[in-house]
Amino acid sequence: MYKQYRNLIFLLIIALLVWLVSFYWNSWLSETMMRHQVIQLPAMILLGAATGLYFRKLRINTLATQISVLIILMTSIIFWMLPLSVDLAVIYPKYNRAMHLHMFVTGLVMVGVLRATIFEVRVAFLGMLAAMTLAVGITLYSFNILLCSSFNIWQQQEAGYYLMFLSGGIFLLTYIIFFRGAGRVQ
Amino acid sequence: MKKILLPIVVLFACVTVIGLATYGFSSFTIFSYTLKSAGEVPRAFPDFEWIDQDSTVFHTKDKHKYLLVNFVYLNCPDVCHKVNNRLEHIYHAIDSAVIPEKLELITISFDTQRDGLDKIRKYRKLFSRDNIDGWSFAIPYQASAQQFHTFLQKTGVWVYQMPETGLINHSVYLFLISPDNKIVRVFDPAREDDSQIINQMEQCISSTGISSFS
Repeated sequence: MYKQYRNLIFLLIIALLVWLVSFYWNSWLSETMMRHQVIQLPAMILLGAATGLYFRKLRINTLATQISVLIILMTSIIFWMLPLSVDLAVIYPKYNRAMHLHMFVTGLVMVGVLRATIFEVRVAFLGMLAAMTLAVGITLYSFNILLCSSFNIWQQQEAGYYLMFLSGGIFLLTYIIFFRGAGRVQ
Repeated sequence: MKKILLPIVVLFACVTVIGLATYGFSSFTIFSYTLKSAGEVPRAFPDFEWIDQDSTVFHTKDKHKYLLVNFVYLNCPDVCHKVNNRLEHIYHAIDSAVIPEKLELITISFDTQRDGLDKIRKYRKLFSRDNIDGWSFAIPYQASAQQFHTFLQKTGVWVYQMPETGLINHSVYLFLISPDNKIVRVFDPAREDDSQIINQMEQCISSTGISSFS
Protein backbone atom coordinates (compact mmCIF):
# COMPACT_ATOMS: atom_id res chain seq x y z
CA MET A 1 0.00 0.00 0.00
CA TYR A 2 2.82 2.37 1.02
CA LYS A 3 4.65 1.59 -2.25
CA GLN A 4 1.58 2.45 -4.30
CA TYR A 5 1.26 5.85 -2.58
CA ARG A 6 4.95 6.47 -3.11
CA ASN A 7 4.61 5.64 -6.84
CA LEU A 8 1.56 7.85 -7.15
CA ILE A 9 3.32 10.80 -5.49
CA PHE A 10 6.34 10.29 -7.73
CA LEU A 11 4.18 10.22 -10.89
CA LEU A 12 2.33 13.34 -9.74
CA ILE A 13 5.63 15.16 -9.26
CA ILE A 14 6.79 14.07 -12.73
CA ALA A 15 3.45 15.12 -14.23
CA LEU A 16 3.77 18.51 -12.54
CA LEU A 17 7.30 18.97 -13.89
CA VAL A 18 6.19 17.90 -17.40
CA TRP A 19 3.35 20.42 -17.22
CA LEU A 20 5.75 23.16 -16.12
CA VAL A 21 8.28 22.43 -18.89
CA SER A 22 5.82 21.61 -21.66
CA PHE A 23 2.98 24.05 -20.94
CA TYR A 24 3.56 26.64 -18.22
CA TRP A 25 7.08 27.74 -19.24
CA ASN A 26 6.66 26.77 -22.88
CA SER A 27 6.45 30.26 -24.35
CA TRP A 28 9.51 31.38 -22.36
CA LEU A 29 11.43 28.25 -23.33
CA SER A 30 10.49 28.71 -27.01
CA GLU A 31 11.63 32.33 -27.07
CA THR A 32 15.26 31.60 -27.87
CA MET A 33 16.88 28.68 -29.63
CA MET A 34 19.21 28.06 -26.69
CA ARG A 35 16.32 27.63 -24.26
CA HIS A 36 14.48 25.39 -26.70
CA GLN A 37 17.38 23.14 -27.66
CA VAL A 38 19.57 23.18 -24.56
CA ILE A 39 16.97 23.42 -21.78
CA GLN A 40 13.52 22.25 -22.91
CA LEU A 41 14.49 19.30 -25.09
CA PRO A 42 17.02 17.76 -22.62
CA ALA A 43 14.67 18.51 -19.71
CA MET A 44 12.00 16.32 -21.28
CA ILE A 45 14.56 13.54 -21.84
CA LEU A 46 15.74 13.85 -18.23
CA LEU A 47 12.17 13.69 -16.90
CA GLY A 48 11.60 10.53 -18.93
CA ALA A 49 14.92 9.13 -17.71
CA ALA A 50 14.04 9.94 -14.08
CA THR A 51 10.78 8.03 -14.49
CA GLY A 52 12.68 5.11 -15.99
CA LEU A 53 15.22 5.15 -13.16
CA TYR A 54 12.44 5.14 -10.55
CA PHE A 55 10.66 2.11 -12.01
CA ARG A 56 13.47 -0.40 -11.76
CA LYS A 57 11.54 -3.22 -13.38
CA LEU A 58 11.64 -1.39 -16.70
CA ARG A 59 14.19 -3.43 -18.64
CA ILE A 60 14.54 -4.38 -22.30
CA ASN A 61 16.56 -7.55 -22.22
CA THR A 62 17.28 -8.96 -25.68
CA LEU A 63 20.37 -7.48 -27.34
CA ALA A 64 18.75 -7.28 -30.81
CA THR A 65 15.75 -5.42 -29.34
CA GLN A 66 18.02 -3.16 -27.31
CA ILE A 67 20.01 -2.13 -30.38
CA SER A 68 16.83 -1.66 -32.42
CA VAL A 69 15.31 0.55 -29.73
CA LEU A 70 18.51 2.61 -29.47
CA ILE A 71 18.43 3.14 -33.26
CA ILE A 72 14.84 4.42 -32.97
CA LEU A 73 15.78 6.69 -30.05
CA MET A 74 18.76 8.10 -31.94
CA THR A 75 16.57 8.72 -35.00
CA SER A 76 14.01 10.44 -32.84
CA ILE A 77 16.63 12.77 -31.34
CA ILE A 78 18.13 13.47 -34.79
CA PHE A 79 14.68 14.22 -36.20
CA TRP A 80 13.81 16.73 -33.49
CA MET A 81 17.17 18.46 -33.82
CA LEU A 82 16.72 19.14 -37.55
CA PRO A 83 16.19 22.87 -38.17
CA LEU A 84 12.99 21.97 -40.03
CA SER A 85 11.56 20.14 -36.98
CA VAL A 86 12.68 22.88 -34.60
CA ASP A 87 10.77 25.43 -36.68
CA LEU A 88 7.67 23.25 -36.83
CA ALA A 89 7.81 22.65 -33.08
CA VAL A 90 8.16 26.34 -32.25
CA ILE A 91 5.48 27.54 -34.69
CA TYR A 92 2.85 24.80 -34.37
CA PRO A 93 1.77 23.73 -30.83
CA LYS A 94 0.79 20.23 -32.07
CA TYR A 95 4.35 19.54 -33.24
CA ASN A 96 5.66 20.98 -30.01
CA ARG A 97 3.63 18.57 -27.88
CA ALA A 98 4.62 15.68 -30.15
CA MET A 99 8.26 16.62 -29.65
CA HIS A 100 7.87 16.77 -25.86
CA LEU A 101 6.12 13.41 -25.76
CA HIS A 102 8.79 11.91 -27.99
CA MET A 103 11.61 13.22 -25.82
CA PHE A 104 9.94 12.00 -22.62
CA VAL A 105 9.46 8.52 -24.06
CA THR A 106 13.02 8.60 -25.40
CA GLY A 107 14.40 9.25 -21.90
CA LEU A 108 12.14 6.60 -20.36
CA VAL A 109 12.97 3.85 -22.84
CA MET A 110 16.66 4.79 -22.97
CA VAL A 111 17.00 3.97 -19.27
CA GLY A 112 15.18 0.67 -19.83
CA VAL A 113 17.72 -0.28 -22.48
CA LEU A 114 20.92 1.11 -20.96
CA ARG A 115 20.12 -0.53 -17.62
CA ALA A 116 19.94 -3.99 -19.19
CA THR A 117 22.43 -3.83 -22.04
CA ILE A 118 26.11 -4.73 -22.16
CA PHE A 119 28.54 -1.99 -21.26
CA GLU A 120 30.00 -1.76 -24.80
CA VAL A 121 26.58 -0.81 -26.22
CA ARG A 122 26.06 1.67 -23.39
CA VAL A 123 29.36 3.40 -24.09
CA ALA A 124 28.92 3.32 -27.88
CA PHE A 125 25.42 4.83 -27.67
CA LEU A 126 26.32 7.61 -25.28
CA GLY A 127 29.54 8.32 -27.21
CA MET A 128 27.58 8.68 -30.45
CA LEU A 129 24.99 10.88 -28.74
CA ALA A 130 27.75 13.15 -27.42
CA ALA A 131 29.44 13.28 -30.85
CA MET A 132 26.14 14.10 -32.53
CA THR A 133 25.38 16.88 -30.04
CA LEU A 134 28.89 18.29 -30.55
CA ALA A 135 28.48 18.21 -34.34
CA VAL A 136 25.13 20.03 -34.13
CA GLY A 137 26.65 22.56 -31.72
CA ILE A 138 29.59 23.28 -34.02
CA THR A 139 27.29 23.58 -37.04
CA LEU A 140 24.93 26.04 -35.35
CA TYR A 141 27.81 28.01 -33.86
CA SER A 142 29.81 28.35 -37.06
CA PHE A 143 27.04 28.75 -39.68
CA ASN A 144 26.41 32.31 -40.81
CA ILE A 145 23.22 31.29 -42.59
CA LEU A 146 19.96 31.32 -40.65
CA LEU A 147 18.77 27.72 -40.35
CA CYS A 148 15.62 28.20 -38.27
CA SER A 149 13.11 30.85 -39.22
CA SER A 150 11.76 31.05 -35.66
CA PHE A 151 15.00 32.46 -34.30
CA ASN A 152 17.71 34.87 -35.32
CA ILE A 153 21.32 34.20 -36.21
CA TRP A 154 22.67 35.27 -32.77
CA GLN A 155 20.29 32.90 -31.00
CA GLN A 156 21.35 30.16 -33.39
CA GLN A 157 25.01 30.70 -32.53
CA GLU A 158 24.24 30.93 -28.82
CA ALA A 159 22.41 27.58 -29.03
CA GLY A 160 25.41 26.06 -30.83
CA TYR A 161 27.77 27.37 -28.14
CA TYR A 162 25.79 25.82 -25.29
CA LEU A 163 25.18 22.56 -27.18
CA MET A 164 28.95 22.12 -27.31
CA PHE A 165 29.00 22.36 -23.50
CA LEU A 166 26.11 19.91 -23.28
CA SER A 167 28.02 17.46 -25.46
CA GLY A 168 30.95 17.80 -23.03
CA GLY A 169 28.59 16.73 -20.24
CA ILE A 170 27.45 13.67 -22.21
CA PHE A 171 31.09 12.81 -22.98
CA LEU A 172 31.87 13.01 -19.26
CA LEU A 173 28.97 10.66 -18.50
CA THR A 174 30.29 8.29 -21.16
CA TYR A 175 33.77 8.29 -19.58
CA ILE A 176 32.35 7.60 -16.14
CA ILE A 177 30.30 4.67 -17.45
CA PHE A 178 33.29 3.45 -19.46
CA PHE A 179 35.70 3.38 -16.52
CA ARG A 180 33.15 1.88 -14.15
CA GLY A 181 32.38 -0.82 -16.71
CA ALA A 182 36.07 -1.37 -17.53
CA GLY A 183 36.81 -1.83 -13.82
CA ARG A 184 34.12 -4.50 -13.54
CA VAL A 185 35.40 -6.32 -16.63
CA GLN A 186 38.92 -6.48 -15.11
CA MET B 1 20.82 -14.14 -38.43
CA LYS B 2 17.63 -13.32 -36.51
CA LYS B 3 19.66 -11.22 -34.09
CA ILE B 4 20.99 -8.86 -36.72
CA LEU B 5 17.88 -8.82 -38.90
CA LEU B 6 15.75 -6.75 -36.51
CA PRO B 7 18.28 -3.90 -36.02
CA ILE B 8 18.91 -3.80 -39.78
CA VAL B 9 15.18 -3.57 -40.56
CA VAL B 10 14.73 -0.89 -37.88
CA LEU B 11 17.74 1.06 -39.19
CA PHE B 12 16.35 0.88 -42.71
CA ALA B 13 12.91 2.04 -41.50
CA CYS B 14 14.41 4.94 -39.53
CA VAL B 15 16.55 6.11 -42.45
CA THR B 16 13.45 5.91 -44.67
CA VAL B 17 11.41 8.01 -42.24
CA ILE B 18 14.09 10.75 -42.08
CA GLY B 19 14.46 10.53 -45.87
CA LEU B 20 10.74 10.97 -46.45
CA ALA B 21 10.51 13.82 -43.96
CA THR B 22 13.30 15.73 -45.70
CA TYR B 23 12.43 15.02 -49.35
CA GLY B 24 15.24 12.53 -49.76
CA PHE B 25 17.74 14.25 -47.44
CA SER B 26 17.55 17.47 -49.44
CA SER B 27 15.45 19.73 -47.20
CA PHE B 28 16.70 20.14 -43.68
CA THR B 29 15.42 23.68 -43.15
CA ILE B 30 11.90 25.06 -43.44
CA PHE B 31 13.06 27.31 -46.29
CA SER B 32 14.21 24.45 -48.51
CA TYR B 33 11.28 22.28 -47.35
CA THR B 34 8.74 24.94 -48.44
CA LEU B 35 10.51 25.31 -51.78
CA LYS B 36 10.50 21.55 -52.37
CA SER B 37 6.86 21.28 -51.28
CA ALA B 38 5.91 23.74 -54.01
CA GLY B 39 7.24 21.28 -56.60
CA GLU B 40 10.23 20.69 -58.82
CA VAL B 41 11.20 23.28 -61.42
CA PRO B 42 10.23 23.97 -64.15
CA ARG B 43 6.76 24.73 -62.84
CA ALA B 44 4.22 27.49 -63.34
CA PHE B 45 4.77 30.74 -61.49
CA PRO B 46 1.44 31.37 -59.71
CA ASP B 47 -0.57 34.16 -61.24
CA PHE B 48 -0.96 37.28 -59.11
CA GLU B 49 -1.66 40.95 -59.61
CA TRP B 50 1.11 43.41 -58.69
CA ILE B 51 1.48 47.16 -58.64
CA ASP B 52 4.90 48.72 -59.23
CA GLN B 53 6.58 51.99 -58.22
CA ASP B 54 4.97 53.80 -61.17
CA SER B 55 1.50 52.63 -60.05
CA THR B 56 1.32 50.27 -63.02
CA VAL B 57 -0.74 47.16 -62.34
CA PHE B 58 0.69 44.06 -63.99
CA HIS B 59 0.77 40.27 -64.10
CA THR B 60 4.10 38.50 -64.61
CA LYS B 61 2.52 36.30 -67.30
CA ASP B 62 1.92 39.43 -69.43
CA LYS B 63 5.59 40.41 -69.46
CA HIS B 64 6.62 37.73 -71.99
CA LYS B 65 10.29 37.96 -71.07
CA TYR B 66 12.62 36.45 -68.51
CA LEU B 67 12.09 37.77 -64.99
CA LEU B 68 14.33 37.52 -61.97
CA VAL B 69 12.02 37.81 -58.97
CA ASN B 70 12.99 38.18 -55.31
CA PHE B 71 11.00 38.79 -52.14
CA VAL B 72 11.94 41.28 -49.42
CA TYR B 73 10.47 43.59 -46.81
CA LEU B 74 11.72 47.10 -46.37
CA ASN B 75 11.91 47.12 -42.54
CA CYS B 76 14.37 44.24 -42.71
CA PRO B 77 17.41 45.10 -40.60
CA ASP B 78 19.88 43.14 -42.65
CA VAL B 79 19.47 40.35 -45.18
CA CYS B 80 16.98 41.90 -47.65
CA HIS B 81 19.24 44.90 -48.28
CA LYS B 82 22.24 42.63 -48.76
CA VAL B 83 20.31 40.60 -51.31
CA ASN B 84 19.21 43.78 -53.10
CA ASN B 85 22.82 45.00 -53.14
CA ARG B 86 23.74 41.70 -54.78
CA LEU B 87 20.93 42.23 -57.30
CA GLU B 88 22.32 45.69 -58.01
CA HIS B 89 25.68 44.12 -58.88
CA ILE B 90 23.98 41.49 -61.01
CA TYR B 91 21.95 44.20 -62.75
CA HIS B 92 25.04 46.23 -63.64
CA ALA B 93 27.01 43.14 -64.69
CA ILE B 94 24.47 42.30 -67.38
CA ASP B 95 24.56 44.01 -70.76
CA SER B 96 21.98 46.75 -71.34
CA ALA B 97 20.94 44.94 -74.53
CA VAL B 98 19.59 42.16 -72.30
CA ILE B 99 17.92 44.30 -69.60
CA PRO B 100 15.15 45.40 -69.99
CA GLU B 101 14.46 43.95 -73.43
CA LYS B 102 14.91 40.24 -72.64
CA LEU B 103 15.23 40.20 -68.86
CA GLU B 104 13.64 42.20 -66.07
CA LEU B 105 14.27 42.23 -62.34
CA ILE B 106 11.32 42.44 -59.98
CA THR B 107 11.71 42.96 -56.24
CA ILE B 108 8.48 42.23 -54.40
CA SER B 109 7.74 43.27 -50.83
CA PHE B 110 5.66 40.78 -48.87
CA ASP B 111 5.12 43.13 -45.94
CA THR B 112 1.62 44.15 -46.98
CA GLN B 113 1.05 45.98 -43.68
CA ARG B 114 4.00 48.37 -43.70
CA ASP B 115 5.29 48.63 -47.27
CA GLY B 116 3.15 50.85 -49.49
CA LEU B 117 3.78 52.45 -52.88
CA ASP B 118 5.44 55.57 -51.45
CA LYS B 119 7.82 53.48 -49.44
CA ILE B 120 8.89 51.27 -52.35
CA ARG B 121 9.29 54.34 -54.58
CA LYS B 122 11.65 55.92 -52.04
CA TYR B 123 13.47 52.65 -51.56
CA ARG B 124 13.97 52.17 -55.30
CA LYS B 125 15.54 55.64 -55.51
CA LEU B 126 18.36 54.37 -53.28
CA PHE B 127 19.42 52.13 -56.16
CA SER B 128 18.72 54.55 -58.99
CA ARG B 129 21.72 56.86 -58.95
CA ASP B 130 22.34 55.16 -62.28
CA ASN B 131 19.50 54.32 -64.57
CA ILE B 132 17.82 51.10 -63.43
CA ASP B 133 15.29 50.63 -66.19
CA GLY B 134 14.10 47.06 -66.08
CA TRP B 135 14.30 46.71 -62.30
CA SER B 136 10.85 47.17 -60.79
CA PHE B 137 9.79 47.21 -57.16
CA ALA B 138 6.28 45.96 -56.55
CA ILE B 139 3.70 45.04 -53.94
CA PRO B 140 0.55 42.89 -54.17
CA TYR B 141 -2.39 44.74 -55.70
CA GLN B 142 -5.74 44.54 -53.90
CA ALA B 143 -5.09 41.09 -52.44
CA SER B 144 -6.07 39.75 -49.06
CA ALA B 145 -3.41 38.48 -46.68
CA GLN B 146 -4.74 34.96 -47.15
CA GLN B 147 -4.54 35.13 -50.96
CA PHE B 148 -0.99 36.42 -50.78
CA HIS B 149 -0.03 33.76 -48.26
CA THR B 150 -1.37 31.09 -50.65
CA PHE B 151 0.63 32.65 -53.49
CA LEU B 152 3.83 32.53 -51.41
CA GLN B 153 3.21 28.89 -50.49
CA LYS B 154 2.63 27.92 -54.12
CA THR B 155 5.78 29.77 -55.13
CA GLY B 156 7.81 28.07 -52.40
CA VAL B 157 8.61 31.10 -50.24
CA TRP B 158 8.55 30.69 -46.47
CA VAL B 159 7.63 33.77 -44.44
CA TYR B 160 7.38 33.84 -40.65
CA GLN B 161 6.95 36.89 -38.47
CA MET B 162 8.57 36.50 -35.07
CA PRO B 163 5.88 37.42 -32.50
CA GLU B 164 8.20 39.13 -30.00
CA THR B 165 10.19 41.37 -32.33
CA GLY B 166 7.99 41.67 -35.41
CA LEU B 167 10.99 40.73 -37.55
CA ILE B 168 10.15 38.60 -40.56
CA ASN B 169 12.32 35.59 -41.30
CA HIS B 170 11.89 34.44 -44.88
CA SER B 171 13.40 32.65 -47.86
CA VAL B 172 15.81 34.76 -49.92
CA TYR B 173 15.63 32.71 -53.11
CA LEU B 174 15.77 34.38 -56.51
CA PHE B 175 13.30 32.93 -59.01
CA LEU B 176 14.07 32.99 -62.70
CA ILE B 177 10.77 33.05 -64.61
CA SER B 178 10.70 32.17 -68.31
CA PRO B 179 8.69 34.13 -70.91
CA ASP B 180 5.97 31.47 -70.71
CA ASN B 181 5.63 32.24 -66.96
CA LYS B 182 7.39 29.16 -65.58
CA ILE B 183 9.91 29.06 -62.76
CA VAL B 184 12.91 27.61 -64.53
CA ARG B 185 15.66 28.17 -61.94
CA VAL B 186 15.82 29.00 -58.26
CA PHE B 187 19.00 30.64 -56.97
CA ASP B 188 20.08 30.79 -53.36
CA PRO B 189 22.14 33.96 -52.93
CA ALA B 190 23.38 32.67 -49.57
CA ARG B 191 25.14 29.78 -51.31
CA GLU B 192 25.75 30.99 -54.87
CA ASP B 193 27.87 34.00 -55.79
CA ASP B 194 26.91 36.62 -58.37
CA SER B 195 28.96 35.09 -61.20
CA GLN B 196 27.36 31.66 -60.66
CA ILE B 197 23.89 33.20 -60.77
CA ILE B 198 24.73 35.21 -63.90
CA ASN B 199 26.24 32.17 -65.62
CA GLN B 200 23.20 30.04 -64.92
CA MET B 201 20.84 32.78 -66.12
CA GLU B 202 22.96 33.15 -69.22
CA GLN B 203 22.71 29.40 -69.92
CA CYS B 204 18.94 29.59 -69.60
CA ILE B 205 18.45 32.70 -71.66
CA SER B 206 20.98 31.71 -74.34
CA SER B 207 18.37 29.27 -75.63
CA THR B 208 16.40 32.33 -76.76
CA GLY B 209 19.26 33.51 -78.99
CA ILE B 210 21.28 35.76 -76.66
CA SER B 211 24.88 34.57 -76.74
CA SER B 212 26.42 36.78 -74.06
CA PHE B 213 25.28 38.83 -71.08
CA SER B 214 28.25 41.17 -70.71
